[in-house]
Amino acid sequence: MSDHPEEKNERREFLKAAGGVAVGTAVGGVALSQAGMAGAKTEAGAEGESDPGVQYGMVIDLRRCIGCHACSVACKAEADVPMGVARSWVEYTEKGQYPNVSRSFLPRLCNHCSEPDCVRVCPTGATYKRPQDGIVVIDQGVCIGCLYCAQACPYGARFLNPVTRFADKCDFCIHRVAKGLVPSCVNTCQGRARTFGDMNDVNSEISLLMSKNPVSVLREHIGTNPNVFYIGLDSTDENTKKPGQYVRVTTHKGIDKKRG
Amino acid sequence: MEHHLMWSWPVYWYLFLAGTGAGAIAVSAFIYLRGPKGNYGERYFALAKYGALIGPLPVIIGTGFLIFELGRPFRAFNIMTSNFWYAAFNPSPMNYGGWLLVLVGGISVLYAMTFLDWNRYLKGGLAATLMRWSDGARKPLASISAPLAIATAVYTAMLLGAMPSRPLWNTPVLWMLFTVSALSTGIAAIMLANRIFYRKTDDSKQDGLFHNSGYWLTLSDIILISIELVVIALFFMFAYVTVQDASHAIKILLPGGELAPLFWTYVIFIGLLGPLVLESFFVIRSQYSGGHFHAPYLFEIAMPLAVIVGGFMLRYVIVVGGQLTGPIGL
Repeated sequence: MSDHPEEKNERREFLKAAGGVAVGTAVGGVALSQAGMAGAKTEAGAEGESDPGVQYGMVIDLRRCIGCHACSVACKAEADVPMGVARSWVEYTEKGQYPNVSRSFLPRLCNHCSEPDCVRVCPTGATYKRPQDGIVVIDQGVCIGCLYCAQACPYGARFLNPVTRFADKCDFCIHRVAKGLVPSCVNTCQGRARTFGDMNDVNSEISLLMSKNPVSVLREHIGTNPNVFYIGLDSTDENTKKPGQYVRVTTHKGIDKKRG
Repeated sequence: MEHHLMWSWPVYWYLFLAGTGAGAIAVSAFIYLRGPKGNYGERYFALAKYGALIGPLPVIIGTGFLIFELGRPFRAFNIMTSNFWYAAFNPSPMNYGGWLLVLVGGISVLYAMTFLDWNRYLKGGLAATLMRWSDGARKPLASISAPLAIATAVYTAMLLGAMPSRPLWNTPVLWMLFTVSALSTGIAAIMLANRIFYRKTDDSKQDGLFHNSGYWLTLSDIILISIELVVIALFFMFAYVTVQDASHAIKILLPGGELAPLFWTYVIFIGLLGPLVLESFFVIRSQYSGGHFHAPYLFEIAMPLAVIVGGFMLRYVIVVGGQLTGPIGL
């Protein structure tokens, strides 16, 4: 399955037209993931491996990020995120001694981990990893807003939505992805730093990008296996800096200046 | 520093209240099950009664705080009903903690009811029936309450310790710390009640029993405080010798850290070392004065109060410190 939205739509139209596998009754996202699984099956089946299914992920090429916060703004508008909290935000890391100084940008969002700690601690089962596409979602009909998940997230991706009083976070724009579009932050990115797609599809744009570039994830030692990857990541922060080195991290996450 | 914490005052008040209440219930059940042959002689029943009556209310109030802390308090029972078969076997500590709190709340109230003198509140056959029920049910309820109360203390540490993203909490020492602290504050609450509600009588046997119970409670408190000091040392050692996250997180409690003044002043000096030194003084002095334990009224009130204040500040420092620290690296 290709990552390009147009092709996805074409494929769905084709499947619909062909009357294949009950696509007509299923919602777009399910249809897409079924198509993806079908494609993966034929490839993996030959080697006798289990079907990995679809796992959506994102690669953010930090060499192309200019720190414009367009992703934050697009996310705010798309998901109607209230003031003071953010599903998607950009952190700055300033380091060095004048005149040898640098500032790097780090766009942040939910990592949709393969081993999500937030899911493990949820007392109601309101948050879960969707088996069809690997997106970690929150069922707002069940969530009690205890924020256990927000404590368990090593990335500070979760917060209490002050309007709905549920736990809230990035959901990879599930409503857009279901229609074959890319998430809003990917769509708006000025430097085209963001690439979104199915990581288990070896021919997707994201897989090609990952095969050709060294990628890294945030806080790998926690062991949650994030599905948001970075190219050109510098993970120095105030706690890991070398003696005498100047490092300042600004999170821009809501009004709160401390890292979650 | 608190306004941006995800878990703030309801959570550390809950940990303190549920811990102290559970400790009082557990100690009460231990004393009751040991019976008159134990160290407290014929005064065992009064002490067990204090613990049983003190325990349930803090646990229930603390649970109320937890529910109040939720984004959606009226959905609290989703923990049990969201999908019954899933919810019943969900391994989330908050899930089995919810079931546990319901059990402890119910059983500890029943246990406390068995110590009430029903003839004072009711008349006729109902009072007699309840008195008969009390005598029969007290021992089974004590046997169930003791392990449930210990489980409550342990679970509060499991709740905090389940997350690698909170290195200060994510340690196998935390449950020991919370359990010992719960028992220690529970004993302190019983000591306080024992002192406040005892009226001096002309009967020298009663006075002797009272002083004897004061002696054993104080001695138990000394032992628990000593264990707690060892556990705190372990807590620091485990964090300090662990590379990466935990050794950075523990800096918040080490001298120079943001919470170090509160921790060392209230938890270590006022809550542990102060009572340890004073209580040891009175216990050792009693050994040189013919086994007659006696401490001034002021000290007998102040020592347990200091232990309770220390227990509260321990929960405060752990809950706030855990949230101010996190994994290192971006």
